[in-house]
Amino acid sequence: MSEDTRLIAHLMRRAGFGATREEIETYAAKGYDAAVEDLLEPPDTGWMGDYMARRFHHEQSGMMGPWGSGDNWLYRMISTNAPLTEKAALFWHGIFATGYPKVIHGKMLSDQIKMFRRYGLGNFRTLLVELAKDPAMIVWLDNYDNHGDAINENFGRELLELFSLGVGNYTEEDIKECSRAFTGWTIGNTEYMVLRSERDSDWPYGRISWHFQYNEGDHDEGEKEFLGRKGNFNGEDIIDIICEEESTARFIARHMYHFFVADEPPVPSWPYTPPRDPDAIDTLAKAYFDSGYEIKAMLRALFTSDFFKAEDIRYEKVKSPAEFVAGVLRLTGEFDRPRREIMDRARQMVYMGQHLNNPPSVEGWHQGVEWLDTGTLVERINFASEQVGDLGKPGVKTMVDSIASRNGEAIESQRLVDLCLEQMGDIQVSDESREILVEFADQADRSPQAIAGVLRLSTATDEFQRS
Amino acid sequence: MVQVKSAKAGMIEYDMTVGMTAMEGRGFYYPSDVAIGRDGRFYVVNRSLESVDRGVRVTMCDIDSEYYGIFGTYGRGDGQFVWASCAAIDSEDRVYVTDEYLSRVSVFDPDGSFLHNWGESGAGDGEMDGSSGIAIDGEDAVYVSDTHNGRVQKFTSDGQHLLTIGSGELDLPWGVDVAPSGDVYVADWGNDRIARFSSTGELVASYGSSGRGDGELMRPAGVAVDDDGCMYIADWGNERIQVLDPDGAFVMKNRGEATLSKWAANFLEINREEGDARSRADLEPEIELFDPDDPHEESSKIEKLFWAPVSVKFDSSGRLLVLESNRHRIQVFRKAA
Repeated sequence: MSEDTRLIAHLMRRAGFGATREEIETYAAKGYDAAVEDLLEPPDTGWMGDYMARRFHHEQSGMMGPWGSGDNWLYRMISTNAPLTEKAALFWHGIFATGYPKVIHGKMLSDQIKMFRRYGLGNFRTLLVELAKDPAMIVWLDNYDNHGDAINENFGRELLELFSLGVGNYTEEDIKECSRAFTGWTIGNTEYMVLRSERDSDWPYGRISWHFQYNEGDHDEGEKEFLGRKGNFNGEDIIDIICEEESTARFIARHMYHFFVADEPPVPSWPYTPPRDPDAIDTLAKAYFDSGYEIKAMLRALFTSDFFKAEDIRYEKVKSPAEFVAGVLRLTGEFDRPRREIMDRARQMVYMGQHLNNPPSVEGWHQGVEWLDTGTLVERINFASEQVGDLGKPGVKTMVDSIASRNGEAIESQRLVDLCLEQMGDIQVSDESREILVEFADQADRSPQAIAGVLRLSTATDEFQRS
Repeated sequence: MVQVKSAKAGMIEYDMTVGMTAMEGRGFYYPSDVAIGRDGRFYVVNRSLESVDRGVRVTMCDIDSEYYGIFGTYGRGDGQFVWASCAAIDSEDRVYVTDEYLSRVSVFDPDGSFLHNWGESGAGDGEMDGSSGIAIDGEDAVYVSDTHNGRVQKFTSDGQHLLTIGSGELDLPWGVDVAPSGDVYVADWGNDRIARFSSTGELVASYGSSGRGDGELMRPAGVAVDDDGCMYIADWGNERIQVLDPDGAFVMKNRGEATLSKWAANFLEINREEGDARSRADLEPEIELFDPDDPHEESSKIEKLFWAPVSVKFDSSGRLLVLESNRHRIQVFRKAA
């Protein structure tokens, strides 16, 4: 392993879902900066495809219930040629967390993720406007019940607290004024659609997808005062003001650092706890303003920065269950076509603590070591070792064949472990982990099954749980 | 012999809707095909959800929405299904149901009692990798789309392999129909066309090309051929049905016109609050679509439109049944007067 490939492997773990040895070598040949550009501006956005998924998984087509949307997203994560697009969607899903138990409409949650896919690497103002118009969000935070003559503050409050400025950067009065500006932002056929959602009704002909509707007659046309400015603000005016705020830039920058670089404490403690790397936040906030709120520019600054490339942040982040499962399945290559087993794999993610499109609260999931407890760690290791130990899976066979072809039966244990770690995505493990792997290799023959055994054991290392 | 077509050949018009969403009993849940018995009984194959073992079944009903019960459950045992797919009826009114996960065909009597099954996974002659579309000719020979092997196989009614059709020609074939002429028409899903084979397996013709325009197809799921040789196609990826004349020329298309079925009307009468709210809703709103070129999105928002039309079948009266997986219903069309 060279430093070049190690750095590419680090990039792929953070900006994607890990990579095979072959993918790492391809990116390394292009050079690091070119690899970053490929991730930001993917030349090929292909994946298994909607038609394929929908033909064989009817549930992923109609998406009435709580599972089809997440299963479909997992397919995308493991088959996409544009991994950062999916990773960015996962990033925004964690911040703008919207969940099934209240929305009761899998298609609308999937459509929200589709919106993140389209705008998640674009302009932050555009993303916020689309979020405010997103039907799942409108139901999730009750904006359909936000009327000109009786405001509902749920969306207004979370827009400021969780989606942009962060606690401490606005007043209760700002929340009220913000909410007034978003009156009339609702979904079409509100009464019928909300009633069906509340009743979990898919009668008579399945669920009808919702659409945004602006009810001018229900909008508060009066003057508002928001963050010290006065005017007859509508929702987009509020978002314009929010985007100009330094606190918004720093809040989004800290989220990005938290997700892509190194774990920060949970969001509620941010007002009282300084960032782990204030200079990094400055860099990202500057990119935000210099580019006119472009998310891609912020990520370009992030991935090309010294703080991202630094040795001391590698393997610092605990992979979320979605990252972990998708990473394993990209390695094993099991889903070269739609297979019913995708459902079982997606359920494993739930057992590890993450049900996509069903976050525990409006705050999303807490990142970092909170993903790990005795139960979830066992689930992760069992899952990965079962998948990676299965020679019937094409990706595993490719890895084992590649290793076996190097020197066949004569390969010595140290070398075997090196080759296995390379195949698993250029993983660097601690001396202690390495010693255990070598001891295991000493005891094993050099049969394909034994080589798969080393691959399998490598999934139990601390580093494999991390990115 | 030159056959003279009537001026209305291939023209159809909407008649009624049958069915409703129901995970158990009377109704359909992600239905994947319908077969029609000689007495007019519908056998609707329900794929249902993958995450639970409820809802997988065959629902029996008729054009008048009379409900006759269900048979089959989720599982791998006799008379059970994992990925229930398509159905056909033989000359003795036995019901053949394919399972594209188990790669087998299960056979039931007209009342749904299990008789036997056949089929093995694999790529050899007589083996299948994902059995989906199924049709039975006048001699009770059974044609099955062998999806992932990219071919159609012909079997005796007890599963003895007779012929392989379309190897190297077909990409993930789905629906199949045997025309009155004896030719075999295949919804060549991955190639966006209808492939027509002679009864001995030669490719006779190919109809349609990729696209959303008239006469173009996007991932066709099913085809039914009438006595005139017109093709009625479940143009699944375009969320419509399309009719082509015997030479493949465009005749007409339809995006769906569903109305309330008897079961749906009954549900809304009983559940008055939902019925009243529905009566006040605009179910055909003007909508700015997120992706204007994607009819799947439009169909998800406008309830009357076809959404995942997976199967087209004629009944003995010449009515065309169009089964929609995502709307859990059948839109019935009749030949234009």
